[in-house]
Parts: sequence; C-alpha cells; structure tokens
Amino acid sequence: MTGRKRSFLQIPQGAEGIYLEEAYKHLKILEDFHRLFISWGYFPLQTPVMDFYDLYRPLLEGKTDTLYRLIDREGDLLLLRNDVTLFLAKQMGLSLSREDLPVRVSYADIILRHQDKEDINKNEFFQLGAELIGKEGLFADLEILTLLFKSLEILSLKLFVHLGSQGLFIASFGMLEEKIRNSLRRAISTRELPLYREVLEDNFGKKRASLLLQLYQFLGTASELKKLLSASGASRFTREELLHLEHLLALTAEMEKIGYSKELRIDLSEIGSQFYHTGIVFQVYMEGLDSAVASGGRYDKLLEYFGFPSPSVGFSILLRKVEPYIKDTSRYALPKKEQVFGESFSEILQKAEEKRREGRTVIL
Amino acid sequence: MNTPLTLALPKGRLQEPVLKLFARMGIEMDFPERTLITLDKRKELRCFLVKNSDLPTYVNHGIAGLGICGEDGIYESGYSFYRLFTFPFGKTRLCLAGPKTLKDAEIPKKIQVATKYTRFTRDYYHAKGTPVQIIRLNGSVELAPLLGLAPYIVDLVETGSTLEAQDLEIKQVLKEIQVSLIANPGYYKIHYKKINKLVERIEKEV
Repeated sequence: MTGRKRSFLQIPQGAEGIYLEEAYKHLKILEDFHRLFISWGYFPLQTPVMDFYDLYRPLLEGKTDTLYRLIDREGDLLLLRNDVTLFLAKQMGLSLSREDLPVRVSYADIILRHQDKEDINKNEFFQLGAELIGKEGLFADLEILTLLFKSLEILSLKLFVHLGSQGLFIASFGMLEEKIRNSLRRAISTRELPLYREVLEDNFGKKRASLLLQLYQFLGTASELKKLLSASGASRFTREELLHLEHLLALTAEMEKIGYSKELRIDLSEIGSQFYHTGIVFQVYMEGLDSAVASGGRYDKLLEYFGFPSPSVGFSILLRKVEPYIKDTSRYALPKKEQVFGESFSEILQKAEEKRREGRTVIL
Repeated sequence: MNTPLTLALPKGRLQEPVLKLFARMGIEMDFPERTLITLDKRKELRCFLVKNSDLPTYVNHGIAGLGICGEDGIYESGYSFYRLFTFPFGKTRLCLAGPKTLKDAEIPKKIQVATKYTRFTRDYYHAKGTPVQIIRLNGSVELAPLLGLAPYIVDLVETGSTLEAQDLEIKQVLKEIQVSLIANPGYYKIHYKKINKLVERIEKEV
C-alpha cells in the first residue's frame, strides 16, 4: 500500500467508528434512554442526514468552522447534520399543525462536526435529546428540566446543571445596539464582564452598571441568589428582569421539592448564544471536560423561523462525550457467549434457539 | 476530601513574579532543581511548571484547571478560556520590527514576516486588509532580517534591548500584551467557589 493510500486509513476529523464492547455499551445506553423517553411520552423522530445549507445559514453564525458542507448535483450547497435540534425544528415547523400541539419528541443520532485533531476531548459525534413543542410556562420548563435530570441519572456520573436565562439578558440589554449587546453577551458568557465596566457605565450609569456586573457574574444556589436580590433591593431591577429572576427561583424551588437541587446551580452567565433562545437556558458540566456535555433551554422563536410559531423547550446530550467516563462494567459488559454442538445443523440450531429463549447468547 | 486546585505556571520571565505573589498570599511553592510538579505547603494548589507556549494546551485539556499566561500564548493557541484576573506584571508588546535602515514609510503594502506568532500575525494583517507572507520560526526570530529570511519580524518586545543589539527597531506596536489568570471553562464551572476565593485573595494582594 502506498503512503498516500495508507493515510486514507485514518478517519476524517469529526467522525468515529466504535466496535464491540464500546458499541454494545453505546446501544445499551441508547436503549435506556429510549425506554425513559417513551415512558414520558416523548416519541422518536429521525432527521435527514443532510439538508440545504442556505436555510440554516442565519442560525449557524459563529459555528461555520465546525460544519461539513458539500455541493449536490444541482449545485445547491448542502449541510451535513451538525445539530439535530435545527434539523428537527425545520421538520416540525413544516409538518405540524395547531391541533397536534403539544408534541413531545425525542431523538438520538449521529452528528458531524469538524474538530481539531489536537482537541481529543471534544467527541461531539452523537446527540440525543428531547423537545416539548407547543407548551409554555413554568410547568413545561419543569417537565424538561426533570426529564433532563432523569436522563442524567442513566449516565450515573457527577454532573452539574447550570441554569440561566436568555430572557433575563434580553430584559437587561435588549435595548442596546446589536454590536454592544453582542460584546456584552460574549463578555458575560466568558466571565470577562468586569473588563466592560466602562461600557456598562456609559449605557446605564454607575449604580446600575455595578448592579448588572454583580448580577451577571452570579453563580450559586437559589438561596444565595435570593440574598443577592434582597441585598441589592428589588426596586433596582426592572419589572422584566424580576419576572425572569422569579421564574428561575420558582423553577429551582420546585426542583428542590422533587429532590433535584444539589446538582442544580443558578448561573446567570448562562445566557444562550442564539437569537432564537427566549427563556431559560442551561448547560451541564462534568469534572475533567472543558465544555458542556449537554445543553438546552427555551427557544420560542426557532420554529417560527421555519414558518410555524410555537413555543418549544428541550435539551440535547452529547452522548459520546460522556460515554468513556461511564464505568458500570457489569451493566455494559458484552454478554458471555455459549456454543452448542450436535450432529446436524438443525440439531445445533434447535439447541441454540432453546437457550436463546432463556435470554442467553449462543453461537453456532 | 479537599482536592487542591490545579494550576499551570509558565517557565521563564513570569515564573519569579508569580511565585513571589503566591508566597505573599501564603501559598508557598518550591520547585527544586528539575522538579516540574509541586504541591504548596498548605495543599491548596497543585502546580505544574510548563513551557509558556504549551500552557494553554494543558489548561484546555483540563490537566491544569487554571493557568497563568500572556495574551500572546492564549491567542496563538486558538483555545478559549475564562480570563479571571489580569496581573499588573509581565506586560509586554507584540511588535512589528525590522532593520533600522528600513524607514517606516517603506513598509510595503504586501509584507513578509518571520514570527512565532503566526495566527496573530495572519489575523492582524488580514483584518487590516494587508496581504502577509508568514515564515514560522520557533526562536531567535531577530536573526531572520539579518540573514535575509524576511525583512520584518513580529515578536514580543519587552525592553527593546534584543532588537537594539541586532540593529533592529520597532516599526509598529501591534498589541499590548497582559498576563492573565485563565481557567478551563468546564473546570471553573465545577470549582467556582474555590476559584473565586483564590481570585479574591490575588486581588487583595496585588
């Protein structure tokens, strides 16, 4: 084999193959998720592996370096599925009618994202998740957050859900011109807001600037947020800001009642990155991984983009990113194989079938 | 168990001021000869001494959750980190430099540059709409104009004495460089309480 051909034996960046134990474990985990989603009434949906890029272009700002695109035989630019949520939104936007709502869907599929060859921890190869379409308000947000926690239980890993709000960000900064708003969004999400004190002071004055600085750096428990709010004085926040803050507190209070408060943090630096996010946003983090392993939130404007205005809330988990850390070897070990013997093929097959009916793995 | 935070420290010019600052905060770290990993006496920080240019890689992969690094290294790595604090020491400049015999007015519209900072140089000149040819070097960049490899270099300039010794001079300051405490975003999200306390202590001491 020539050197050039030998280099083709590498797998292109952004794709992977998994075998035997690893593939078995992956499928077993998917079975667990499938069972959970079905029991909650989230029925499966499959999206196309590619679609016309131009439709998604405005939704993919800042992500183009990770996309795989190709040109079809008619000369149209195609996008290989890089995010199931977007493909799902188009499919739902085109096929749903008002009478169908609310709709609960789940998905589990391969995604294709370029990753740097040195970025060995990214592993963004597979996305699974759930979406609740056509329902708004506290109960809908709670349903998705609870389903997220139930999903994380399947993974049996120490994970932390950081809950924030894009709605809050819009309430505070929606009136600013887009360029300033985008700079502030970046600064908040990278926790560099103190570097923008002057920008805040220019737009809001010193007092409100320092209030916003404190607010958007907040990361902690619900009771710590309450303390911050009462120390700052509720009258210093706008009515819209208070509505979003109260919504976050109401969510965490309900989550506490059902026993999901320990791994839930309010993190006001989580403000979403896309224009279609509208309410809560959340990311899930794990020790040892540089970026979120799951994310989600409310994005009431996404389906509207595809022609069907409808509130939606959901989450997706980058399953292959966390799978290597799931160490439940007995649960995911390949089953032991037995072999049966006999005089004829039909006899061997009959013996094997009997054992298989008992749930055993038998080879001929 | 109280697990110490992990911090990557850069070898070289930043090592001494950083270790002195931490010592004043009561975090005493000792790197006996050839030792590259140490735990401070109070077991608050586990520190790794790494090459400046490798530091972002260690932090990006979460080997060290925190790091102390110049803007130049962060930019060149292409990774994104949280910048939690900017230190008052270690300030320097990324500059375009060339032979004194080349007058400023002669800087051509299409420029040829030798540098370690290829990503920065490419982005800087592309943003200005200036075509740039870049030759990557890993050290002693100031040799390039002398030996005729490229008329200009882009490099860090602290005092300018190295340039002066080679009969070179600063033609343009491209970026002021500061040194920051950086954090792996995922690591910060998990250990934010401890990290925030550490940052508060640094702020008080500086």
